[in-house]
Amino acid sequence: MKEKGNKKKALRKNIIREISRTKSRFISIFAIIGISVGFFTGVKSACPSMLETAQRYFDDNNLMDFSIISTIGFDDNDIDAIKKLDFVEAVMPSYMADMIVSEGDVDNVARIIALSDKNSNINTPMLKEGTLPQNDGECLIESYYAKLSGTKIGDTVKFTSQDNSMLKNNEYKIVGIADSPLYVTYTRGNTNIGNGSISFYIIVRPEEFIPERYTKIFIKTKASQSDISAFSDEYKNMIQDESDILEALSFDCIDRFNSETLYDAKKKLSDAKKEFNEKKSEVMQKISDGEKEISKGEKELNEKLAEGQKQLDDGQKEIDKLKNELINARNEYNQKLSNAEKNLNYAKTRFENKSAEYNKLKSEYDINIKNIQKSLDDAQKDFQQKYNIFYKQTKPLFEQQLNSLQSKIDFLNAQTEINQNSIQTRISLGLDTRRLESKIQEYQKDIPKYQKQYNELSEEFSVYEQEFKNTEKQFNEAKQNLENEKNSLSEKLKNAKNQLNSAELKLNETQAEYNNITSSSNFDIKMLETEVTIGEKKIKQGREKLESEKQKALEQLNSAKAEIENGKTEANEQLSQAEKELSDAQDKIDKLNNAEWYIYDRDDNPGYSGLVEDAQRVDNIAKVFPLFFLIVASLVCLTTMSRMVEERRTETGTLKALGYSDRDISSKYLIYGSTAGIGGCIVGGFLGVITLPKIIVDTYGIMYMLPETKIVVSQADFFVSSIVAVMCICLVAFIACRKDLKLNPATLMRPKAPKPGKRIMLEYITPVWKNMSFTSKVTARNLFRYKARFLMTVIGVAGCTALIVAGFGLRDSITVIGDLQYVDISHYEQIYALSEAGTAQEKNDVISKFQNDERFDNSMLSYMGFSSNVNSKKSNTSLNSRIVIGENYDDFKRMFTLRDRLTHTPIELDDSSIVIDERMSDVLKIKKGDTINIKIDEIFYNCTVSGITENYAGNFIYMTPEFYKNITGDDIKYNVIVTSVTENYKNNQHDIANDYMKYDDIITVSLISEQVEAIMSTLDSLNIVTFVMIFCAGLLAMVVLYNLTNINIAERVREIATIKVLGFYSLETANYIYRENIILTLFGAVGGLFLGSLFTGFIVESIQMNNVMFPNIVKPVSYVWGFILTFAFSMLVNFIMYFKMNKISMVESLKSIE
Amino acid sequence: MTKDFVKFENVYKRYKMGEVTITAADGVTFSVDEGEFAVVVGLSGAGKTTVLNILGGIDSCDEGKIIVGGKDISHLNKHDLASYRRYDIGFVFQFYNLIPNLTAKENVELATQICNDHLDADAVLDSVGLSERKNNFPSQLSGGEQQRVSIARALAKKPKLLLCDEPTGALDYNTGKNILKLLQTKCIEDGMTVILITHNSAITPMANRVINMRSGKVISNVINPNPLPIDQIEW
Repeated sequence: MKEKGNKKKALRKNIIREISRTKSRFISIFAIIGISVGFFTGVKSACPSMLETAQRYFDDNNLMDFSIISTIGFDDNDIDAIKKLDFVEAVMPSYMADMIVSEGDVDNVARIIALSDKNSNINTPMLKEGTLPQNDGECLIESYYAKLSGTKIGDTVKFTSQDNSMLKNNEYKIVGIADSPLYVTYTRGNTNIGNGSISFYIIVRPEEFIPERYTKIFIKTKASQSDISAFSDEYKNMIQDESDILEALSFDCIDRFNSETLYDAKKKLSDAKKEFNEKKSEVMQKISDGEKEISKGEKELNEKLAEGQKQLDDGQKEIDKLKNELINARNEYNQKLSNAEKNLNYAKTRFENKSAEYNKLKSEYDINIKNIQKSLDDAQKDFQQKYNIFYKQTKPLFEQQLNSLQSKIDFLNAQTEINQNSIQTRISLGLDTRRLESKIQEYQKDIPKYQKQYNELSEEFSVYEQEFKNTEKQFNEAKQNLENEKNSLSEKLKNAKNQLNSAELKLNETQAEYNNITSSSNFDIKMLETEVTIGEKKIKQGREKLESEKQKALEQLNSAKAEIENGKTEANEQLSQAEKELSDAQDKIDKLNNAEWYIYDRDDNPGYSGLVEDAQRVDNIAKVFPLFFLIVASLVCLTTMSRMVEERRTETGTLKALGYSDRDISSKYLIYGSTAGIGGCIVGGFLGVITLPKIIVDTYGIMYMLPETKIVVSQADFFVSSIVAVMCICLVAFIACRKDLKLNPATLMRPKAPKPGKRIMLEYITPVWKNMSFTSKVTARNLFRYKARFLMTVIGVAGCTALIVAGFGLRDSITVIGDLQYVDISHYEQIYALSEAGTAQEKNDVISKFQNDERFDNSMLSYMGFSSNVNSKKSNTSLNSRIVIGENYDDFKRMFTLRDRLTHTPIELDDSSIVIDERMSDVLKIKKGDTINIKIDEIFYNCTVSGITENYAGNFIYMTPEFYKNITGDDIKYNVIVTSVTENYKNNQHDIANDYMKYDDIITVSLISEQVEAIMSTLDSLNIVTFVMIFCAGLLAMVVLYNLTNINIAERVREIATIKVLGFYSLETANYIYRENIILTLFGAVGGLFLGSLFTGFIVESIQMNNVMFPNIVKPVSYVWGFILTFAFSMLVNFIMYFKMNKISMVESLKSIE
Repeated sequence: MTKDFVKFENVYKRYKMGEVTITAADGVTFSVDEGEFAVVVGLSGAGKTTVLNILGGIDSCDEGKIIVGGKDISHLNKHDLASYRRYDIGFVFQFYNLIPNLTAKENVELATQICNDHLDADAVLDSVGLSERKNNFPSQLSGGEQQRVSIARALAKKPKLLLCDEPTGALDYNTGKNILKLLQTKCIEDGMTVILITHNSAITPMANRVINMRSGKVISNVINPNPLPIDQIEW
């Protein structure tokens, strides 16, 4: 024993030394196992932790198992009946009301919940601040809203609702801030007032509620009192059974109610109706009497008025006669006047004409006279001139000449005579006469000459004289002519003057006549006019009098009428009030007649089922991803261990030679491996469990109002993963050892020949090889030299890259849903629930209101039903689905895209089959042409599936109204209006919703945008899980790379030392090794991208839920990230290793080969 | 021929092993002239390897001065030491330290590719008598051949100083003799300064200078005016 102990001691020392000597290897294994086990356990623990946290919260605050509401409320009999059920632990009758609270312009709806009573304590609010309400008018407010709105203790909540039938006070003072376990999320549910959704809740004492009958019952049953989880199937089954019993009980209670309360109520109502009818007829009689009197008075008044009117009318007639006369007289006068005027005008015109004529003549005459005078003067002047010339020049000249000639002649004659006488004398004297005779002859001879001259001149003169005489005659003639003309003109003018004078005379005559008429006729007319004026005045007075009398009478009449009318309205109001009361009572009774209990379990609490789904989703991710993680980790550890065993070959040989048993020898590696593994499991598991569930649950905590996270370790997962990891390492170590141990010690002690260098394929491709640099050749050959290391590194790196890519890919697949579903598939924004379902004809008015509203692109009457238990023969699973039927197929196609996911080929609906979503087809294992069973109004129908459409969120069955009619035999009754809002109003959807909530036809509005937000916020939280995954994958990648590089360096210490001795600088040495590392990482990373896409597919497949389809989408950027991160980690590792490599002593190279 | 080409002056090297300090070089002082074939002999632990390591620039001294070719290497930093090894030193290992993944020629090229002024790999391999085996991997070569490659690798860099650490330690008698002959030839024909350490004092007659060490001290530094050719030495 002692020997054995010693041996063990030596071995133990050896192991401890081994560990301290190969610290980095040990730590690598430790870390790899730690990270993967920690990650696996941590993520796996998130779901139970979340559920446990919720479970605790529900247990601590006594969350109800059932809540029941009823159309008729409840009384103590009902409570007692429920209490008698054996599974019921506690019953709490309670109240609930919804009220509008205005804040600024915003109308919020508050839900008022009754505080739990001290006995049952169901749904105890978790008080965070302040005190519970003790007094009248106090309330608690929920913490989330208090924080959101900045409401503090001491503030008041004031209702603006007019309905005061529910609560005693209209204003509540906040005395505390508390959360009810009824609400685990921030959704507060829907209501049928205000904008249709509840903003917050307050809690008041039950005493604050007015109604006699309870409006709500909370029940706590054995199901939640037992140890089983509220999220287990067991609980669900129990609740289902209990629910059935409660439902059965409800019929009894309703029957009792009908026979007791309802009977009384009915009797009361019929009495009241009778009374009402009597009273009504009485009032009606009174009214009709009053009305009769009034109509009589009215008639009398009308008669009187008519008489007065008649008198007035007669007077008016007379006046009208006078008026006529006046008009006639006026006309006559006017006629006369106009005639006279005409005459006058004529005379005037004539006078004017004549005057003008005369004037014209006169001026003509003046001109003519002037001209004539001028001509005369000219002629006179001319003549005078001629006269002067003739008498003063010509005539004297001629006379002088003639005279001179005469005198000459006379002289000659005288001479002759003298001479003759002298001759005679001489003859007498007898003197010679001859001289004398010659002289006489001479004389005689001259005389004819002179005579002739004289005659000629005289003739000439007579020509002149004649000429002058002619001129004189002409002149006188002209003078006479002019004188004549002048006279004729004067005559003409005189005539004109005469005419003018006669015209003037006529004018004066007519003017006198006219004046006569104007002055004479006016008087008669004036007389008549006066008469008419007086008459009219009289009539006017009469009229006024009559009018005032009429007014007075009418006033009296109207007041009488108004009195009657008032009486009538009052009576009517009272009557209709009474009638309404009666009809309300009737309605109530009718409702009571069809009384029903609605039994809700926890799943119906807002957000409750989401909590379970979210937890499930995380768990689904945890199923696969960490498994890959573990696989990669194990793979790397495996190679590390087998390397180690190989390295210690000589030692194995030595030990074997020394006589140690195989078991002892292999125990070293087993212990080494398991120490690292178990240590890693414990530390990693511990770290994983304390960090990851908290991170994940806290992230979800943002959406859920849960208390401090309670961490539940998923022990099974921890142990299973730990055992698998450790087993992996040990098994590898053992197998590797076994291989060595089979050999004899001598072989083992001989150093295993270094792996011989070999030519690689590349070398035979001479052109390539020749052109490679020396270092590339070395690298290439080294890469292929250690095929195991090559593979191990590539696979390890690929695994890590794949994990990172898968992390990102998962995130892509999750986040893309919102866009795909609400951008590509659904194109509607709002769903208005109709208060009553109806056929297309019945709902025509409502839908046209929507269709005429320009704020909507599309509005369509639709049927949105819910089918539970949709199933098929091919699958055991059943699921719940919406059934969607659009009234108008064109509108339907605009708002719902039905298409194949891969090919995007549109899918058309027909009247003989249905189209289902892809997820449903997967779950139910349905292909095109198969049939499924769907439930409509509790009846199953077998339908052929003609198309499988792309869809991500929710399950949908689409069909046409005709198909509905075909299978059910009934006309479809539409229960909702689906609308798509125009682009401009996308941001005002609440306003639109508010507008339509005012109509009685509309009961609630669901905004798709809010649903999207809710879905996306859930999925966003899933993001943190993917981030944790990416982070852990990165961490693992780093450790793996560190480990692999470490192995690489450890194996080549001697080589590194040698090249250092050869004078390689630090960087050159590092490059010598890193070049290979980088290439290996490159191979691994590229491989990892493919692997990552596969991983993503696996993981996405595993997180698929019945009603959500996650598309397997890895965005290119995710691949880029995977690649970059891997390289970044690789570089980081290389950087760390650089120092390690620097530390390698060159002295190593001098050591002998072990 | 430079005198005192290599010079050790009072060189100390101490290793701390826990609380014990081992003085591996205890004031070592000696010098070797250029072109000499010097043999350092001594028993295991005499400090001869320490001296060689310090001289080869792969280890540092704690005290003293080492001058090689007029350059003090005792205070060089890491990088300068690498340069010193690269350009000035050729190292022949006892276990050859060939890169198994490289052929004989490539192993030589591994050295030449980092030196600007180097010999042609083929020529060096020819000169060590390995013309036929240039393209063989180390595993395909015998021990002697491998050591020849190792010598070729050291010589190819045209070092100022060839350091050999028990070059025949892993070889049989005849092969060892051949290697020593090769080294002696290189020394004589090429004028290479060779410092060889060995525990085998039988080969000292072939050296120009014999340095005897014991316990980290040089106990004698004798010049042998008439070195014998290796063929004439038997042991």
